[in-house]
Amino acid sequence: MILAEETRTRHSPSQATATETRLADVWRVVVLNDPVNLMSYVVMVFKKVFGFDELRARRHMIEVHEKGRSIVWTGVREQAEAYVFTLHQWHLNAVIETDEAR
Amino acid sequence: MKRVEVKLNLEAVAPLLDAIKEAADELRPELAVASAPPPDGEPEFADGWKRELLDNQNSDIGVFLALFDSEFFTTGVLPLDASNSEAILRACAAVRLRLHAKHLATLGDEALESGEVAVDDLPESQRRAFAAYAFLATLQELIVQHLDPTVME
Repeated sequence: MILAEETRTRHSPSQATATETRLADVWRVVVLNDPVNLMSYVVMVFKKVFGFDELRARRHMIEVHEKGRSIVWTGVREQAEAYVFTLHQWHLNAVIETDEAR
Repeated sequence: MKRVEVKLNLEAVAPLLDAIKEAADELRPELAVASAPPPDGEPEFADGWKRELLDNQNSDIGVFLALFDSEFFTTGVLPLDASNSEAILRACAAVRLRLHAKHLATLGDEALESGEVAVDDLPESQRRAFAAYAFLATLQELIVQHLDPTVME
């Protein structure tokens, strides 16, 4: 790919690999607002899935409610996928995003 | 094991069960929340992702509907404990999402959130859906309040 070719000419292989790994590793779990699920239910799910304390869970719930979305976790893709799957099991609207998506 | 028994008025709840069962039946082949698998995954991964979510959803709804057995129609009591509370919470969420999507979206989010709905002005099917939606919310609140899985762990 052109991008890979350019990367090779601009950076040493080790630098390029490190950059790619860092980008690939940063994924966000984003919870989106929905008009149905109860606030107390969403707080409980955040506590259950992410181990948040009450205050942090409520903060994220309010952010979802007021801003339409909240980034609830950041990290490697596999774990982000597992979290999104679990949130879907609890019927919360959640997606994963990369840094590049913003 | 902590256990909560919720005594319900059979006359009030029985009519709501039709709306709940109808929504539950409609959810058998489809997810309550449109679940997009992560991007760039293999088609098999996406299929497996949705199939597993659907299996879980149906299992939860099965646990929930099993509460309304012949004993319930004799006593009016719903027995809730740690063994069924999470499945019931999720099932209530799924059925509420379905009721909202099919019957209640036109009422507006603010009215639904505040509960300020002119119920008497609604057509019968929508009135029953709203009552079921509110009943399931109350059940969820009771479980979160008394059987919060994050407290019981």
